Amino acid sequence: MSGGRRKEEPPQPQLANGALKVSVWSKVLRSDAAWEDKDEFLDVIYWFRQIIAVVLGVIWGVLPLRGFLGIAGFCLINAGVLYLYFSNYLQIDEEEYGGTWELTKEGFMTSFALFMVCVADSFTTGHLDHLLHCHSL
Amino acid sequence: VPRKRKCDLRAVRVGLLLCGGGVYGSRFRFTFTGSRALSPWQVGQGRRCEMSTMFADTLLIVFISVCTALLAEGITWVLVYRTDKYKRLKAEVEKQSKKLEKKKETITESAGRQQKKKIERQEEKLKNNNRDLSMVRMKSMFAIGFCFTALMGMFNSIFDGRVVAKLPFTPLSYIQGLSHRNLLGDDTTDCSFIFLYILCTMSIRQNIQKILGLAPSRAATKQAGGFLGPPPPSGKFS
Repeated sequence: MSGGRRKEEPPQPQLANGALKVSVWSKVLRSDAAWEDKDEFLDVIYWFRQIIAVVLGVIWGVLPLRGFLGIAGFCLINAGVLYLYFSNYLQIDEEEYGGTWELTKEGFMTSFALFMVCVADSFTTGHLDHLLHCHSL
Repeated sequence: VPRKRKCDLRAVRVGLLLCGGGVYGSRFRFTFTGSRALSPWQVGQGRRCEMSTMFADTLLIVFISVCTALLAEGITWVLVYRTDKYKRLKAEVEKQSKKLEKKKETITESAGRQQKKKIERQEEKLKNNNRDLSMVRMKSMFAIGFCFTALMGMFNSIFDGRVVAKLPFTPLSYIQGLSHRNLLGDDTTDCSFIFLYILCTMSIRQNIQKILGLAPSRAATKQAGGFLGPPPPSGKFS
């Protein structure tokens, strides 16, 4: 299906088990890039999730977005953005990687924990004055 | 401003203790001198200092988490990763996992009995190798467990009763036991040390393993599920 759209590329060297070389990131924004190594692509998905977690964590903490709405929003955006990326932009065949669910859960729990850390840190930092005035001795 | 300087000294003391390596358990207890008569201006300054301390605590806990993750990986490297037995086993497991995965993808439902038996034998072999790998890792797990028990005792005594962060939501009731542990008051958005530390460890440790290239491969993790958890499905023909 999507295999016919891909161009042949020489295999890119990759660092062992999760770290990515600079050359891999140059493929990330190219919709016609070929991903021969499945682990390489899954690592890209993993690191994208971590980046989204940090960005959303800081924004959610600064706004702030209180309650479980913020957490639900993170889950939806995290899953949704990556789904649009690999499904619409890269147009990869999800079955080659074990299905949409496998791609969705790749790095999800780690990114969720990272999001919680960032949101707690940025909320505490960004609202020192507010918390100070709200708390009476 | 004397009160601010006390907060900085407190943070410096904690920082020095961390750098020292601290495997001394809960012997080192920091008590914070408190009650004396203060003017309203001093009270306000005191509250501001407390919030700054909370921010410093948050950063400190993230730093502690990074350090403990690096320490754990360091101990594991010294005891396990650099040994020939581990390197050999790991290479074998990864090779077998990838081979097995490829075989399972290409095999069809109408595959012969011989082929199915061959795959089952390979799975059994992989399972044994995974078990041996886990046994090799056991050494470092004991060492890490011992170190961390001592370190946690120390950190718990340092941060006992201290609100280290504010959460923008109220955690679920069964999580509040962890997030509000040993904290005074009823404000469930107060975050205790242990909750923030656990979140930091969950997020930072795996990322550090991936950055350092020490995380096991996905194929090996998938096949290893049979040892620690429910066995993975043995192909479409099961």
